[in-house]
Amino acid sequence: MTPLWQYLALGLFMFTTGAIGVVVRRNPVVVFMCIELMLNAVNLTFLAFARYSPSVTINAKNQVQSWMAGQMMVIFVMAVAAAEVAVGLGIIMAIYRLRNEVDVDEMSTLRG
Amino acid sequence: MFNSTYDLIWLVLGLPLVGFLVHALFGKAIIDLLGARLGKKMVGGLAVLPIATAFAIGIGLTYQLAQSPPEARNVTLRLFDWITIKSLSVPFEVLIDPLSMTMVLIITGVGALIHLYATGYMSEERDYARFFTYLNLFIAFMLVLVLGNNLGLLFIGWEGVGLCSYLLIGFWYKDIANAKAANKAFIVNRVGDWGMTLGMFLIVAVLAGNLDRLGVKDGRWLSYDVILPNAVNVLRDHPVAATIIALLLFIGACGKSAQFPLYLWLPDAMAGPTPVSALIHAATMVTAGVFMLNRLHVLFELSPLASAVIACVGAFTALFAALIAFGQTDIKKVLAYSTVSQLGFMFIACGAGVYWAGMFHVTTHAFFKALLFLGSGAVIHAMMHDQDMRNYGRLLKYLPITGAAMIVGWLAISGISIPYVFGLAGYYSKEAILGGALAGQHAVANGTNYGLVSGWVGLGVAALTAMYMTRMTYLTFFGKQERWRELPAHGLHETHPSHESQIVHARDAHENYGRDGHATADFFYSESEMALREQLENEDHHHHLNPDHTPREVSISMWFPLVVLALLSIFGGWYLERNELFKEWISPGASPVLGEVSIHPQGIQLVWLSFAAAAGGIFAGILIYGRGLSEREGWDLSKWNPFRRAARRQFYYDDAMVGAAVGGGGIFATGLWRWFDAAVVDGMVNGVGYLAAGVGGLFRKLQTGYVRGYALLMFAGALGFLGYFVWLISRTAVGQ
Amino acid sequence: MSNQILFWLMAAVAAMGAVGVVAFNNPVRSALSLVVNFFVLAFIYFSLNAQLLGITQILVYTGAIMVLFLFVIMLLNLGAPQALQEKRDIKPLLGLIVGLGLFGILLSQVVMPLNFVTRSMARDDFGTPQAVGKTLFTNYVWPFEIASVLLLVGIVGSILLAKRRI
Repeated sequence: MTPLWQYLALGLFMFTTGAIGVVVRRNPVVVFMCIELMLNAVNLTFLAFARYSPSVTINAKNQVQSWMAGQMMVIFVMAVAAAEVAVGLGIIMAIYRLRNEVDVDEMSTLRG
Repeated sequence: MFNSTYDLIWLVLGLPLVGFLVHALFGKAIIDLLGARLGKKMVGGLAVLPIATAFAIGIGLTYQLAQSPPEARNVTLRLFDWITIKSLSVPFEVLIDPLSMTMVLIITGVGALIHLYATGYMSEERDYARFFTYLNLFIAFMLVLVLGNNLGLLFIGWEGVGLCSYLLIGFWYKDIANAKAANKAFIVNRVGDWGMTLGMFLIVAVLAGNLDRLGVKDGRWLSYDVILPNAVNVLRDHPVAATIIALLLFIGACGKSAQFPLYLWLPDAMAGPTPVSALIHAATMVTAGVFMLNRLHVLFELSPLASAVIACVGAFTALFAALIAFGQTDIKKVLAYSTVSQLGFMFIACGAGVYWAGMFHVTTHAFFKALLFLGSGAVIHAMMHDQDMRNYGRLLKYLPITGAAMIVGWLAISGISIPYVFGLAGYYSKEAILGGALAGQHAVANGTNYGLVSGWVGLGVAALTAMYMTRMTYLTFFGKQERWRELPAHGLHETHPSHESQIVHARDAHENYGRDGHATADFFYSESEMALREQLENEDHHHHLNPDHTPREVSISMWFPLVVLALLSIFGGWYLERNELFKEWISPGASPVLGEVSIHPQGIQLVWLSFAAAAGGIFAGILIYGRGLSEREGWDLSKWNPFRRAARRQFYYDDAMVGAAVGGGGIFATGLWRWFDAAVVDGMVNGVGYLAAGVGGLFRKLQTGYVRGYALLMFAGALGFLGYFVWLISRTAVGQ
Repeated sequence: MSNQILFWLMAAVAAMGAVGVVAFNNPVRSALSLVVNFFVLAFIYFSLNAQLLGITQILVYTGAIMVLFLFVIMLLNLGAPQALQEKRDIKPLLGLIVGLGLFGILLSQVVMPLNFVTRSMARDDFGTPQAVGKTLFTNYVWPFEIASVLLLVGIVGSILLAKRRI
């Protein structure tokens, strides 16, 4: 059977790739995609842990819950990601309409 | 949680609160929805109902409490933990015992009557719902005050009723004088709260400092069942601490119960609507101080010096306020000073050690003072809101029910009696107080029995009380003149010939005041400024009192409470005194330190003395005022004798206090501002500001506004954090 | 062993997809790489016995979210190859260094020490719709409801942002 660490390594790779993408890319839509990538990496990690090492628990009932906790987290991450994408893309649309361009580096009015 | 009948107490506490919420949230909507007439009926009903229900429940609980044996009349119920820190725990607990239930009955019973009365009195008021919102909230806070099982809850109620009092005095806030009167009440009460809080802290400090001796584990240092037994053990060895605690708490009681140095706010508080004066400033809130003294009587009994101070302050206040009452022409002001004076009697009782007599007087006073205030409200209502007794006279003819009720109130507060047979309410409680003061041996300091002194003073004040109340009653209800008939007709720009010069003078003074004096007394008027204003207003609006006005008897919702209160004033004292009912009822928690204080002084025929005081006072009053308003008390102040003029101005005490507080405080504050605030505080504040700005300037360069740069820094931070953790873990692993 | 081979295949495709997202200059290509990555990820979920979440992954991510992305890209005409050429800058280099550092530390300190875990502890049916649904609607019903509110807020918010005139 596939050892746990391989799943984790894949998740880690996706996560760092996404992180690098967030820093490197100027296109906000791509930045968003990279964030999605990171979120999915986290999801994968959650699932892997849920499958491989449910935490030590006291009784049978709690044990079932702790098996499921990872999956529950994944579900809620997905829900949050969906909402985040909808709002984020809406913001990008609004900015585009306002300034007719969407370069992350041009959106620097928060400069100190 | 709900497992005994006593749990109904939560309903008593909750119902007024529910009433408050209903009025606050929906009151205006109800009036808007149903129209003014029906809506006001609905709102009024919704205001009276919770209080009346609470009263009914209160009676049931009291009855049940009375059925249990005396030593079991002490039930504590816990709702939730309110404050829990390491060394102090203040749970939300109520204490049901005779003392608290007595207060509950007074508050809800008299409160319900006054609510009922207010539905009639305020019927022309636009802000009807707001009024009952405040009134219900007041009842709720007052119940918290008396039912709470610890000083923390007492203090919530204490401040809550102060707040409601402030809101209600300033109910007609568009009139600046009312707003300022509310400010005055609030600010003067803060002085009392200062003493109150310091006393509370000191109790905690003293008790918690003797933790090892007391063996109290849960740190409920403010709860009565911890304070009362333990304070005796600790404070017996520390008489100085006992005196300081007692005096600090007494300052708090002085503020709320309007005793001498701090009584200033109560007369001004008459600016509020009359039901408020009756409920808050006569029957309930002002007795909070006496209640607190009763509740913590152990602390006060431990210090004879503090007891002497209490008795003397009470006696002096009683005398001082009674003298001032002679100079007042506003019917509500007379009653206000008589309230202050009667509160002085209660403090005499507490100082002398007959705490139960103080509570007894609280009870009877609630009856007859509420009666008098509501009656005066009915008179004012019938006389187109003119409050000046100089415009009254012979009103008994027009207001038979109100008049009869007021006469009962007058006789009751005078303490009239048929010796050994029957007496009105005020007689029994006053005699208990005076007897306790004359017989007691408690308030002794430096070898002088100040209790005895204040007892004799109190006897004199009882005569004075009878006299000035006679003055009020005769000026209002008897005599041959109907003095408002002599007023100039409404709308004509004529001035009443007898007080023309006075008005001109007043107007000049007012303008001067406006130019020079305004800045000095911004928060409240002093007594003289207030009088000036009143005079001007009398002249400006001339109310709506016409010479051809015919007063009419008030509506049933207004006179019904009067009749009930009149019956209570007649029979209440007799019933409670019979077989020492009230004393037996209230006493289980009364005197563990001192033992019983007798109310039957040796060798003094108190029954006859107090009869003589009351009857003599009334007789003297009738002699002087039987013929109606004399020229020496008319509109022309210059014809008044100097004593009475001084009394009218509170013997200039108020002016002096306002001058000292506002002027002296102003100098002090200016000094603070110039030397401390500008130099030290501003220096520090600006220094911190410059420091922050400097450091911020350094970091400002990092804020490029480039989102990607921020992301990069964030990841770098995460990396650094992880690296640090890894280093930390590896180090501890090596260590093991 | 066949399991291993299959996993490595899927992992390699997923990793390439991930790199593609960052490396392609054209956002449309990035988006398509992401689709590949998410699609394969769904199969990796299957290999973890999380069937329901795998299906959800395909439906939500590869379906809905990616369509949304492509839609926005097309709408704003960001797909043009000359749009937003990356400038030469120190930031990408720094980002690469930091990212690799993160990868290195986590891989060596967190992932590799767990290489002894090879046996699945959870029950095999832990990812079935029955199991997930039962947990979701009993112990997690409040978070679930709140998540629905969150989605509603997201919908309203995005409409608010995207509409020209309210």
